[in-house]
Amino acid sequence: MSHAHAEGHTIDHLERATLEGKNKILGFWIFLGAEMVIFGTLFAAHIGLRGELNGGVSGSEIFSLPIVAIMTALLLTSSMTSVLAIQAMHRHELKGVALWLGITVLLALGFLGLEIYEFVHYVHEYHFNIQQSPFSTTFYVLVGCHGTHVAIGIVWISLLIGQLFKKGLTVVTAPKVYVASLYWHFIDVVWVFIFTVVYLMGKVG
Amino acid sequence: MAHVGQAPAGDQVKRSKGHEGPRNHLITFAISIILTILAFAAVSIPGISKGFVYTLLVLMAIMQVVVQLAFWMHLKDRGHFWPTLAMIFGALCIVYVVASAVFWIWFV
Repeated sequence: MSHAHAEGHTIDHLERATLEGKNKILGFWIFLGAEMVIFGTLFAAHIGLRGELNGGVSGSEIFSLPIVAIMTALLLTSSMTSVLAIQAMHRHELKGVALWLGITVLLALGFLGLEIYEFVHYVHEYHFNIQQSPFSTTFYVLVGCHGTHVAIGIVWISLLIGQLFKKGLTVVTAPKVYVASLYWHFIDVVWVFIFTVVYLMGKVG
Repeated sequence: MAHVGQAPAGDQVKRSKGHEGPRNHLITFAISIILTILAFAAVSIPGISKGFVYTLLVLMAIMQVVVQLAFWMHLKDRGHFWPTLAMIFGALCIVYVVASAVFWIWFV
């Protein structure tokens, strides 16, 4: 399939029509490689220290898997809707791009709201604040770093939708949309490891 | 290279029909959902050893991420050599950092 449409590459794939667009995408991949290293160090600290409770609560005592499952569903679906935004872009449908990006942002807001609720709940119910233990510190820094990325993505994609309405789909705006969708997929990829390593493994003990 | 926008509209429509379409992306979505449900189910089943569950969870997470990288982020497509290399290098760094942290904290 991927080879079949190689002929129409520059026409279907507006984001790769210029060298600047191509370079922007390549540069963004290198940024994502660096992001992997950042999250890798936070995961390393959490995995190494998650048993150090300092007399506080453990993950298996406080984690609520239903909330984590809903958050996972929201983020996974938002990753899918950003794929649909790129597909609409390849069909040159500005409204479709804006619609799917808008749904992506709404799903992300739902995710972020649940995460904030979760953190507030932990602090109030279990006094599980960032200073309680090495486990709590690495938990909040890792999951909070991911949540910050989600918040940045919400602002970024919202601004991008506004710019699309102003400037339309061009060889300048298309790479921006593509790169934002890569960022969004990356955030979902990181979340897959967070729900696996932090929440599910934390629940097992 | 830079002839975008000069192509006639009819040509664009014809080319667009050859586009990949949502099928692979929807299959990726379905695979991700199934792997996620299996992961959440794996921790709810009583009586399995912790080590087995851990291994299963990590393997399913890696599978899900590889599928998403390949299809949603197009790493399987042509012209993605350097992006793939960037991801492999990042992954190697993660393995190295996590392994060293576990070694120094748990075993030294």
